[in-house]
Amino acid sequence: MIVREDLAIRIKDVSKSYRLIRNRPTSLKEAIIRRSRRFSIENFWALRDIDLDIPKGSFFGLIGHNGSGKSTLLKLLSGIHRQTSGSIEINGQLSALLELGAGFHPELTGRENIYLNGAILGMNRRQMSELVEEIVEFSGIGDFVDSPVRVYSSGMYVRLGFAIAVHVNPEILLVDEVIAVGDEEFQRKCLNHMEMLRDKGVTIVLVSHDIEQVRNLCDRVAWIDKAYLVEVGEPGEVCDRYLTHVDHGGDSTERDN
Amino acid sequence: MNTLKSRLRTVRNYLPLTFNFAQRELKVQHKRSVLGWAWSLLNPLSRIFVYSLVFGVIFRFQPPEAGSGQLNFAMYLFSGLVVWLLFESMIRGSMHWLISIGDLRRKVYFPLETVTFGGAAAVGFQALIEALVLIVFMAGYGNLGWTMLLIPVVLLLTAMFGLGIGMIMSVFNTRYRDVENLVVILLSTLFFLVPIVYTEEIIPEKAYGLPAADLIGANPVSQFVSTFRDIVYFLEWPSIGRISLLALYGLTSLGLGWWFLNRQSMALSEEM
Repeated sequence: MIVREDLAIRIKDVSKSYRLIRNRPTSLKEAIIRRSRRFSIENFWALRDIDLDIPKGSFFGLIGHNGSGKSTLLKLLSGIHRQTSGSIEINGQLSALLELGAGFHPELTGRENIYLNGAILGMNRRQMSELVEEIVEFSGIGDFVDSPVRVYSSGMYVRLGFAIAVHVNPEILLVDEVIAVGDEEFQRKCLNHMEMLRDKGVTIVLVSHDIEQVRNLCDRVAWIDKAYLVEVGEPGEVCDRYLTHVDHGGDSTERDN
Repeated sequence: MNTLKSRLRTVRNYLPLTFNFAQRELKVQHKRSVLGWAWSLLNPLSRIFVYSLVFGVIFRFQPPEAGSGQLNFAMYLFSGLVVWLLFESMIRGSMHWLISIGDLRRKVYFPLETVTFGGAAAVGFQALIEALVLIVFMAGYGNLGWTMLLIPVVLLLTAMFGLGIGMIMSVFNTRYRDVENLVVILLSTLFFLVPIVYTEEIIPEKAYGLPAADLIGANPVSQFVSTFRDIVYFLEWPSIGRISLLALYGLTSLGLGWWFLNRQSMALSEEM
């Protein structure tokens, strides 16, 4: 496959199925005693035949109903799960914000958690030391940075998580709706910061249910419905068609397979 | 060979994270406790006290003569216990680390083995401290020798042997939590089938028609324990053959365990 330099992410023919196992034995005893009784395995297709090119430096939006497969796609991109078939190419250092503060350990202080999270995102101690002050400043948690994060309010938790993810100098940033958690002021701060990153050439993939936000921020949008990619294109057009589809009760799904 | 190379590259790339997991393990262990670090030494010391009391004082086991001519049951016991605790902590730790990281691995990507290696480093560090206490203890009785230079080697091989077994058990334990209970029972049984609280000399040649002494001696764990005892208690150099055998056990176990954990890691991350 030819690596295209202008693409940050290249998704080719990607499908993902999860095995839904009913009545799976959860203990050894059950596994032995009930060996004769069959537990059923069903395949659930979370994504089917997705072809998507995400250009470098773009602000890319992913929209669709709950359970349409958007988050699964982000999981595949970040490597948490592996696709069942197809290929995914990533060009550049990737940082994912699938859940803010996911890597926090409650007993460690904010500062210790900054180092821990940085390490998960591939940064060493020295690199993180240069960023710590900036992260604390951005998150606005102040003196709490030296208290264990279990005493943090949920807002502080989220702010610190966001601050870490955007300060590790990612080339590609995956954001899964997390910014919706903070207050108005912090949300605005996050959006401004993401726009700043975009201007620096960072590729951002945003999953959002806030269609107006997607329309304003993104320069390209993909609409995923029931595991299939419906369309990719200009935010205005795709969002309009998506909203029309929602207004009609979401039954008349057109699939371009 | 190629996969080994790519595995090693992954390990290098994730070294900061592995280090961080190790630190986290050490830090969190004793948060919110007054004595903190002292607990990690009080645990082995209390076991030495209890076993010395039961087996040394009540059962009056006579330890063989140490390198310096001493006859001290606590010394004999301590030298075996350090190896055993390392072996046991590697296995029990592996199962615990993989379970406790599930929450995180569902949300962020990192290779699963980083948490296992990080935890292993923390346990290894603990073992080194115990070994230092052991040396100081031995020095107090004037039982010192150059053979002690081999302590890190034997401990490293023991750690590799335990970690490999632990990696395999941790994969099964993620699927079926009974594995941990089963392993705990097996370990506490095995503890008494290895000459730690008793001497090799008192094992009967034959018991119930089985060659008891040979069986116990053939157990790899016994061989780690007795080799370690050779260098810290008897102050004798082990044969090259013995060390090579231990290296073979260590490398085979770690190789298999690591390979298995890797093979299962993507499937596991969806089941966690």
